[in-house]
Amino acid sequence: MLAQQIVNAISLGGVYALFALGFTLIFGVLNVVNLAHGAVFMIGAYAALKAVVVLQLPLPVAILVAMLVTGAVGWLLEKFIFAPLRARQAPHLAPMIATIGVAITVTSLIEGTFGSENLRFPAEVLPAEILSMGGGAQITWLELEIIVLAFALMAILLWGLRKTGAGRALRGLAESPKAAALMGVNVEAFFRVTSILAALLGGAAGVLIALYANAVFPHMGQPMLHKGIAVVILGGMGDIRGALLGGFFLGFAEVLSVAYIGSNMRDAIAFGLLFIVLLLRPQGLFGHVAQRRA
Amino acid sequence: MRLQKILSGAMLALGYFAGIAGAQIKIGAAEALTGNAAQYGAPIRRGFELAVGEINGGGGINGQKIEMVIEDEQGKKEEAINVFKKLIFQDKVLMLFGPTLSNSAQASDPVAQSAKLVVFGTSNTADGITSIGNYVFRNSVTEADILPVTLRMASQKTGLKKVAVLYGNDDIFTKSGYDNFKKALQDLKIPVTTTETFAKGDVDFKPQLTKIKAGNPDAIVLSALVAEGAPMMVQARQLGITLPFIGGNGMNSPRVFELAKDSSDNLWVGSPWSVENPAAENKKFISAYQKVHTTLPDQFAAQAYDAMYIVAQALKKIKLTGKLEADRKSLRDALPGVQWTGATGPFKFRQVAGRDGKPAGYDAVQTAIVMMTKSNQYVIQK
Amino acid sequence: MEWLDSFWATYNTLVLSIGTNVLLALSIYLTLATGLLTVANAAFMGIGAYTAGLLTTQLGMPLIVALILGSLLPAVVALAIGRPTLRLSGVYLAMATLAFGEVVRILILNAEGLTGGALGLNGIPQLTQWFDVALAVVLTLVVLLRLARSRIGRTMAAICQDEIATEIMGLNVRAYKLFVFVSGGALAGLAGGLNAHFTFFISPNEYGFERAVDILAMGVLGGTGSPWGAVIGGLLITLLPELLRGLGHYRPLINGIILILIILYSPKGIWNLFRPVSESTRLPAAP
Repeated sequence: MLAQQIVNAISLGGVYALFALGFTLIFGVLNVVNLAHGAVFMIGAYAALKAVVVLQLPLPVAILVAMLVTGAVGWLLEKFIFAPLRARQAPHLAPMIATIGVAITVTSLIEGTFGSENLRFPAEVLPAEILSMGGGAQITWLELEIIVLAFALMAILLWGLRKTGAGRALRGLAESPKAAALMGVNVEAFFRVTSILAALLGGAAGVLIALYANAVFPHMGQPMLHKGIAVVILGGMGDIRGALLGGFFLGFAEVLSVAYIGSNMRDAIAFGLLFIVLLLRPQGLFGHVAQRRA
Repeated sequence: MRLQKILSGAMLALGYFAGIAGAQIKIGAAEALTGNAAQYGAPIRRGFELAVGEINGGGGINGQKIEMVIEDEQGKKEEAINVFKKLIFQDKVLMLFGPTLSNSAQASDPVAQSAKLVVFGTSNTADGITSIGNYVFRNSVTEADILPVTLRMASQKTGLKKVAVLYGNDDIFTKSGYDNFKKALQDLKIPVTTTETFAKGDVDFKPQLTKIKAGNPDAIVLSALVAEGAPMMVQARQLGITLPFIGGNGMNSPRVFELAKDSSDNLWVGSPWSVENPAAENKKFISAYQKVHTTLPDQFAAQAYDAMYIVAQALKKIKLTGKLEADRKSLRDALPGVQWTGATGPFKFRQVAGRDGKPAGYDAVQTAIVMMTKSNQYVIQK
Repeated sequence: MEWLDSFWATYNTLVLSIGTNVLLALSIYLTLATGLLTVANAAFMGIGAYTAGLLTTQLGMPLIVALILGSLLPAVVALAIGRPTLRLSGVYLAMATLAFGEVVRILILNAEGLTGGALGLNGIPQLTQWFDVALAVVLTLVVLLRLARSRIGRTMAAICQDEIATEIMGLNVRAYKLFVFVSGGALAGLAGGLNAHFTFFISPNEYGFERAVDILAMGVLGGTGSPWGAVIGGLLITLLPELLRGLGHYRPLINGIILILIILYSPKGIWNLFRPVSESTRLPAAP
């Protein structure tokens, strides 16, 4: 059983990490807790589903379509919500509350348009072949793809942030928007790019997780949001590697607590761990020093 | 075919709207039309509308037509209370149906009880609802009545010796189902290898399923709704678990075939309603439903449909004086005696005891049909 | 008079809900005005609700005793976790309190023998009367308005503006923070106890993430500059769904849009729009 549970933990961790990547990016650069990320994630799933079912597109194309749609949503968010609030010197909670409003609006739009029932991808579309690994463990192609994708995306993001001029500008921006502006960085443009990028990631996560669970429904973003927040705290808010490692950490914590303690305590353990980590090491397991905000 | 559908739809709509025009018997319904529970509230509403359209189209009850006032309780308990109060005191309905979730019913049914009008649940199966008082009725058969039948049949046919149990521990419906499963398993002396839980909205059940697999049971007993149950079956098959699943009536929905596709075989459920039941009333209901909605109905729609007819039978027997209090009481008095054979089969009420031991509300008495899924169909087991 | 009777019969739950929501909004106003982003109030509400509910159903205690104990227990819990937790700040504090809230909810869920678990606590006697809620709201409001103008209130605002400077001036910042956190917890517990006694039935899921977000929204939308902001926030969040009822299916949609519009056009909360001009010369209190 242990081998299979380890496989389960890694694939669950991959799922969490994917979601958290976009979420942490917005916090790190824009300093906003984007509670609409769950809704963005959900839109990605619906976009891909409709692309496959209505437009009869093959799955990889559908994923790109989904990312385009969510990227547009990210752009809208930045242009109509985050930027105006920044311009108005809004208190730093305001964008968060606004994203709550966005989440409610978007979820209700989707529910009104597509209904509230669970939908699923047609069976032919799913890469469902099962591979056997050692120790009696089994994993599906899809789970492997998710894990590989999570790592690949992280690697690409990290490379982009470290090695490219744009990436360095973004990191500088995250540290201090004023300093970056003084250095000639087009702050507004970068904010927009970040929001779009985060939404792209969220959309991709949405499609993959919709395939993994084979369930698409309007409120699917909510439970992911809870877990996403936990992952990002564990890993360190704003830290890319942290999102990935935090995701796997949470995946392992959950799976192992189900396997060896009892499934009814699973969430208590996950959030209890979170609470303790915060008390002992507020910057997360892998994050940098927390900024004191009085 | 299309034209026929449009005509039937039009006739039903006419019957329904005719009811509003010559508005006379006001019946309220508080169901979850938005929010998470809307996937259950929507078919319930369709069941009501179908029945009302037919009844009004046939001339109504003693010459009076039914006017339905449907409100959205969003699957939230506070909304259910507010909506109940609005229907009772503002719209002054004669009786009301709902709410959708057992959770909400616990909070809102006492309101109807103290206001002295009938509240009729068509989808509340948890314990502790009809025991609220003698104005509370339901035609949704409780798990306590069905599960032992399902278990007995499944164990007979599969020869199972021990089972694992998986249930949702944060929802009153699935938890209540689990309590009844536990009791039935004890009564039948079937040992449990392991008991695992999940939460509503979970998408990953592999850790629990892996643990279950390691315990080597002969079947998995499941207290879940289709939204979680279907992915569970898919993931179980992915892990190489080929065991049968035994479900509560939350799993009795044709949606399980869409959602679990190739993994939907070998699921046992018990329910008074089966889409495969060849009885004449059921076939009539299914074809009427399909004419308007193209999809097959599910248990929620069937029970709502029958519930409306049951109330209609009671209404036929009483004389409405126009004085609200008196009319509400005479409806309540006429209801327990109704016996009706509808889409869900022969039906009658049975009074239960309240928390103080005195006689209280009314549960459903119906026989359960045990089914097992095979090749995208519910096959009735005998 | 008949009109009044009919109105009350239909809307009494709504009016009582306004009262308890205002209390909840006031409970978070305390911490927000001090610059603390804590979202544990939903959990404190739950602790208060279950405590009071169990006392009346299992031990037959009178409402007033149940309410007092129902406010004390959350306060004690707040005291216990406050010390370590309040060392955090900003979003980290929010997440810690959110995590704490989830743990509380799950503990209540699993303590079946005591709380009934997922099946909830049933048959809570309908003891809350309108004057209980009205009294609680009025008293709290009076106390907090006084507080806001007192030295304590100014210290809270100072901590909100610049914690380090306040500490340097010799004020025991930690003690003040703990004070608002614990008082907020007690208020939330009181609201929970009152609420349980007009809704018959409570279950653990009501005190989770959704409720925490609602309470936060009430505080922020109304505005943290004054206790009146909390009143506005509580009124708004309770009445909005009711006023929009006629929109049927589109209700949540319009709800969300209104939320967005309010924040966009008055990011400091609605109260900010009504603030008398003379007050704008005072130190801004919003975090």
